[in-house]
Amino acid sequence: MRIFDPHVHMTSRTTDDYEAMRAAGVRALVEPAFWLGQPRTSVGSFTDYFDALIGWERFRAAQFGIRHHCTIALNPKEANDPRCTPVLDVLPRYLEKDGVVAVGEIGFDSMTPEEDEAFARQLQLAVEHDLPALVHTPHRDKAAGTRRTLDLVKESGLPVERVAVDHLNETTVRAVADSGAWMGFSIYPDTKMDEHRMVALLKEYGTERVLVNSAADWGRSDPLKTHKTGLAMLEAGFSESDVDDVLWRNPVEFYGQSGRLLLDDLPGFTASSDTFSGNSVLRGGGDR
Amino acid sequence: MTFHLGYGTNGFSNHRLDDALDIIAGLGFTSVALTLDHHHLDPFADDLPARVSHVAAKLDRLGLRCVVETGARFLLDPHRKHHPTLVSEAQEVRVDFLLRAVRIAAELNADCVSFWSGIKPADVPADEAWNRMRSGVAAVLEGAEPLGVTLGLEPEPGMFVQHLTQALRLREELGSPSLFGVTLDVGHCVAVEPDDAATCVRRAGGLLVNVQLDDMLPGVHEHLEFGEGDLDLGATLAALAAVNYVGVAAVELPRHSHAAPDVARRAVEALKAAMPDEPAKPRHPWLADAQRAVRRDPAVVGRLFPAVGRRVGRGLNRPDDPQGLVHGSVDDAARAELLGALATMLDDDALSAELLALYRHGDDAEKRGVLRGLALVGDRASAAGLEVVRDALRTNDVRLVAAALGPFAADHLDDHGWRHGVLKCLFTGVPLAAVAGLERRTDDELLRMVADYAAERTAAGRDVPADAARLLGKGE
Repeated sequence: MRIFDPHVHMTSRTTDDYEAMRAAGVRALVEPAFWLGQPRTSVGSFTDYFDALIGWERFRAAQFGIRHHCTIALNPKEANDPRCTPVLDVLPRYLEKDGVVAVGEIGFDSMTPEEDEAFARQLQLAVEHDLPALVHTPHRDKAAGTRRTLDLVKESGLPVERVAVDHLNETTVRAVADSGAWMGFSIYPDTKMDEHRMVALLKEYGTERVLVNSAADWGRSDPLKTHKTGLAMLEAGFSESDVDDVLWRNPVEFYGQSGRLLLDDLPGFTASSDTFSGNSVLRGGGDR
Repeated sequence: MTFHLGYGTNGFSNHRLDDALDIIAGLGFTSVALTLDHHHLDPFADDLPARVSHVAAKLDRLGLRCVVETGARFLLDPHRKHHPTLVSEAQEVRVDFLLRAVRIAAELNADCVSFWSGIKPADVPADEAWNRMRSGVAAVLEGAEPLGVTLGLEPEPGMFVQHLTQALRLREELGSPSLFGVTLDVGHCVAVEPDDAATCVRRAGGLLVNVQLDDMLPGVHEHLEFGEGDLDLGATLAALAAVNYVGVAAVELPRHSHAAPDVARRAVEALKAAMPDEPAKPRHPWLADAQRAVRRDPAVVGRLFPAVGRRVGRGLNRPDDPQGLVHGSVDDAARAELLGALATMLDDDALSAELLALYRHGDDAEKRGVLRGLALVGDRASAAGLEVVRDALRTNDVRLVAAALGPFAADHLDDHGWRHGVLKCLFTGVPLAAVAGLERRTDDELLRMVADYAAERTAAGRDVPADAARLLGKGE
C-alpha cells in the first residue's frame, strides 16, 4: 500500500512516527501550516515556522525516505489576532517556493469578520500564485461554516476543483460533493472521523475527489490512520486499486495542480527498500 | 563545479559560424570563445541586432557558454593587421569596437569581453603607451559597468602588455574594478612567462575570467596542438580546478582552420584525458535567460532564485556522490551561476545585502545555492558570506553543512569555527571530501579534537568513521 498523507503536522511528531509511517507505506505527505497550540505573538514566529516547513522538516522527512511538501497560510484562529495578521504580507515570498503545493490551511474558526477578510485575501493569493487551496472547516458550527466556505470560494474566482475542503463528516460532505470541490476527511482516534465511518461514506459517495488524511498533530492523533483506513477499505470489499485511488492517486492529482510535487525516490531509497544505505544521514543522526 | 571546456571560433575561420558552433557543441565542448570578425557576427553589420539574437538563441539551444574575443586581424583596418590598438594612434577606433563587443557580450550573456593591448608603435614612449592603456581600458569599463559585462585583459607575447604581472599592475592602478579581470593563454605562459602555466594560473587565481588552451614551445609564439609543445596540460588543468575556476577554457588554435574539425576532435580527446574532474555540463537555456534577466534588473533574482530547481532540474552532479554532499546538484550549480551574473551588476554592499536576503528567505535548496555560490562571489562579500556559513554550520541539515565548508570557508572562516565544522561533518556522516582546503587547514588542534572524538567512539564500543581514521593517519 503506497500512501500520500495529504494533511499531517509532522513538526509535532517524532522520528518514531516517521519510521512507522515509512514502514506502513507512506512515501509522501503534505504538512499544512496551522496553529501550534500555543498562540503566536509575532510575525517572526510565523516565518521561523514557515522556514522549518520548507527546510528542516523537509530534511527530517527525507531521512526516512518520505517526500515532504507543505502548504503555507495564516490560519483562521490567528487571523483574529492583530499581532499576527501582518504575516499576510510575507506569504507571497513563501508561495513561490519549491514544495509549497497549496495555500492553506485557510478557512474559518469562529466565522468573524477578520477571518472572512483573511480567508478571502488568501484565496486571492492562491489565484495569483497559481496554487490550489486547502480549507479547514470549523469545529463549531461546522455546517454553516462549510456553506459559507463554499460561497467565499465561489466569489474568489479560484476554480472549485483547485480547492479541498477538509475535516468533513456526515453532515457536511453533501454540500462539498455537490460543489465540485475535493472532499477531505481527517481520521482521528476519537474526534472528527474514524476509519469505519469513512468506509461507509466511501460506499455512499465513491472514491472520486476524496482525500483521506491523519491530520496528526500535537493533540491525540495517529499518523497511521491513513494506513488503517486503507485496511478497513480492503476489509469492506474495496479493491487495492480503490485504496490506491484514495490514498495515492487522489492526493497526487489534487496537489499535482501546483506543478510542484516531487515524488521521485529520495537518494538512498528505492520504492522497495526501507533502509538507508551507504554513508547515511541516519547513521550520523542516530548516534548523536 | 568546474570550468567549461570550449573551442575558439577563430580556429574555424573557414566555417560559417552556425556550422562551427554545431561542430563545437557536437564534440562535447560546453563553451565557445567567439571572435567577432567580418565573417563571424560582424559587429559593423547593418542588421547586427538580428544577427546577435540569432547567435544568442543558437548558443542557448546548444547549451554553450561564451566569451567574446576581439583579436580579429583585419576587422578595423583592411591593410594593417590588428590596427588600430589601445596603444596606437586612433585609439578611439579600438575603444569604439570594444564597446560594441561589450554590448554584444551583454546580449549573448557572455562571461566576458577579452582584449589585448596591441603592439607599442616604435615612436610611442612606454609611459605614453601605459597612459593610453589606462585611459582606453577606463573608457571601455565605463561602458561595461551599466551592462554588467566583465573585461578580460590578455597578456600577449610581443605586445605592450605581454606578461601577467603587467596586466595585474594595470588592474591595480585602475582601482581593482570588480569587472576587470584577466584572460590567460596557457601557451603564452610556456612561450614568454618566467613561470609555468600552472603557476600563472595560481597567481591570477580569482581574477581569471577567461582561459585559452593551447601548447607552445619556450620562446616561440606559435599556437600548437596539445602534445606538440612543452605545456604540462594535466598540471595546468588541475591548477584551474584548484583555484576553483568555473569559466570558459577554450582551445585557441587560430592557424588551424584548414583542418578545424579534425584538430578540434584531437583537442577534445587530449583534454578529456587530462581533465582532473568531470567536465562541466552544458548550460541550461533557462539559466542563460535568467542570467540575462538578472543583468537587466538585479531585483528579479528574488523571484528567479526559488524557481531554479523547477526549471533546470535537481539531479546530482556526480553519480558517485549520491546525496550531492561533495559535488552538489544541478540546481546548486545553476544558483551559483545566477549569483555570478548578479555580482556583475551590484557593488559589494548591495551584493552582500542580496546574498543575506536570498539565504535568509530561502528554503533548504536556496540556502545551499547561496553557500555554494560563495566560491564564486564570496570574496566580494566576506562578512555576509561568513554570516551565512556560520548559520549553516549551526544547522543539522547535512547538505547545508557540506555546502558551507567549500572554498569560501577554507579561505575565510576562523580556525575555531572551521575545526568545529569539520568535526560536525564526522558526526553527521558528511564525507570530508566535501571540505575544501582540508589538507591546507588541518592543524594540531583539529587532530586533537578528532582524536578525542575517536576515543569517545571507541569507549562507547562504536566504530571510528573511516574519514576520521584517515585524518589521524590510521586509515588506508
